[in-house]
Amino acid sequence: MKMRLNSNKRKRIIFFFLLIVICIGFIWSLPRLSIPLMISYVLYLIVEPTIPHLIKLGFERNLAVIIIFLSLAIISIIPVVVLVPTIKMEVENVGIYLPKVETYVKTEYEEIQQIVLQKAGIEINNEYFKNALIYVTDNLQKIIINIPKLLASLLEWLLVIPFLLFFFLRDGFSFKRVILKLVPNEIFERTYYLSNELNKKIGDYIFAKFIEASIVGIIIFVGLLLMGVRFAFLLGIIAAFTNIVPYLGPFLGLLPAIILGLVEHGIQSPEFSGILILYLAANIIDLGFVFPILVSKMVNLHPIIVVISVIIGSHYFGVAGMIISIPLAAAFKLAVAQIYFEIYGR
Amino acid sequence: MGGFKHDNEEVDLPERLHIGVIKYFWQSSPYNPSKKTTIPHFLRNIIVFKDFSDYELYLLSKFIHERTYENGEIIFKQGDLGIGFYLIYYGNVEIIVEKENPSSTSTTENLEYNLVTCLEKKDYFGELALLQENSIRSATAIAKNACKLIGIFKPDLDELIRVHPVVATKLLQSVSMIIAERLYSITKEVKVLKYKLSKMEQLNENEVK
Repeated sequence: MKMRLNSNKRKRIIFFFLLIVICIGFIWSLPRLSIPLMISYVLYLIVEPTIPHLIKLGFERNLAVIIIFLSLAIISIIPVVVLVPTIKMEVENVGIYLPKVETYVKTEYEEIQQIVLQKAGIEINNEYFKNALIYVTDNLQKIIINIPKLLASLLEWLLVIPFLLFFFLRDGFSFKRVILKLVPNEIFERTYYLSNELNKKIGDYIFAKFIEASIVGIIIFVGLLLMGVRFAFLLGIIAAFTNIVPYLGPFLGLLPAIILGLVEHGIQSPEFSGILILYLAANIIDLGFVFPILVSKMVNLHPIIVVISVIIGSHYFGVAGMIISIPLAAAFKLAVAQIYFEIYGR
Repeated sequence: MGGFKHDNEEVDLPERLHIGVIKYFWQSSPYNPSKKTTIPHFLRNIIVFKDFSDYELYLLSKFIHERTYENGEIIFKQGDLGIGFYLIYYGNVEIIVEKENPSSTSTTENLEYNLVTCLEKKDYFGELALLQENSIRSATAIAKNACKLIGIFKPDLDELIRVHPVVATKLLQSVSMIIAERLYSITKEVKVLKYKLSKMEQLNENEVK
């Protein structure tokens, strides 16, 4: 009796873990599936906190999801109609702009070369500069060439992501229940606790990051708009997106603004220092107020671990990996701590 | 099907069907989700949930987990992290505690156990785990025969608080009621024990004198 019971138990545990491993492996091996899944999951985490408010107002869950979905659709259609032309224009302008940047950099470089030659008597080799320039332009070309490919998958995502998001919102609760039914008895409580903690960590982090990024993006956009700098909207979006990457992000966001300021207005112009002060102010507001209140409570990871996990994430998943690496690292830490307690006792 | 058709066909049916009859056939239809109504019905019969309305019990029933256990299966172990409050749907559950003074051969197999109670249908256990932060189980629960338990876990409670605060409040009220009752009986017992202890101390002193 006891033997039979034990083998039955073992079967259940093996079945459960095999199922998980197969599912993860399958999704992992298909980036065409895993990327929209990941994006819709992130969107789900951002949107989901609004559902309880609607349910409290007396709507059924289905109706609440439909209301949220319709309002999301309307909200996202407005920017598509209004903003796409401006973004398109700005992007096109950037395309016209890049040669201007190139010539600016070249003349600046020649000037510096002259100055160095006059003052120190050393001639700087042109090779380094040329190589650097070729490297940058090559990479830019690669990005521009890849844009149609990106647009094609974007079209696919445009159909798949709303579909996934809708059913995540509507049935996410019951999906979780079905999966939990499969969990074997002896690891049920631990699994439920751990998966819930991990989900909460990731969800809270992404929600907080979304709000933080939009605050920074709005500050930059409004500031640049008030200063009358070109590409204000594009720079705001870039600042918001790069802000998601910890430590490195703000500098990445600052880079295009510095280039633009230098080329457009020159280093001594009030606009250039204005841009610098604006970015500095936005990041001070972010690091001084928004980050401590919203984000830091959720992940208490050492900065070294943060940087390491960002690098690992960017290596395997690119930009998406950079974004998702911090909550994953926090989740991993939690799981390791739990297993540690399991082995060594409390 | 059988009892309805009579031998003689001339039985005059009522002109209009009775509401009760329609209701009966409606409820006995196999397409009716009668399975879903069993858990709210079960919860209705539990005393601590007496303040819940039918609809609230229905909402609560969506947030609970049904778990089945085989004979002798451990539900939770003493010293484990606990997050769940269990009600017994059917079957028997034994609550046992490891003995305080472990014998010299302290291998895990030779640990001695004290039986605390044997619980049966409609009983509940593990309610402290729902309220405590990082609750550690103070006893082991073992299924005595094939049984089905209804579990409410901490994440479910969090979700209930988020989505249906009224139901969550009532659930917490019920759990606090259980715990308050237990606390009351424990303080009573402590009082009696204190009294006995002081009596014994007095006796001791008298003997010493």
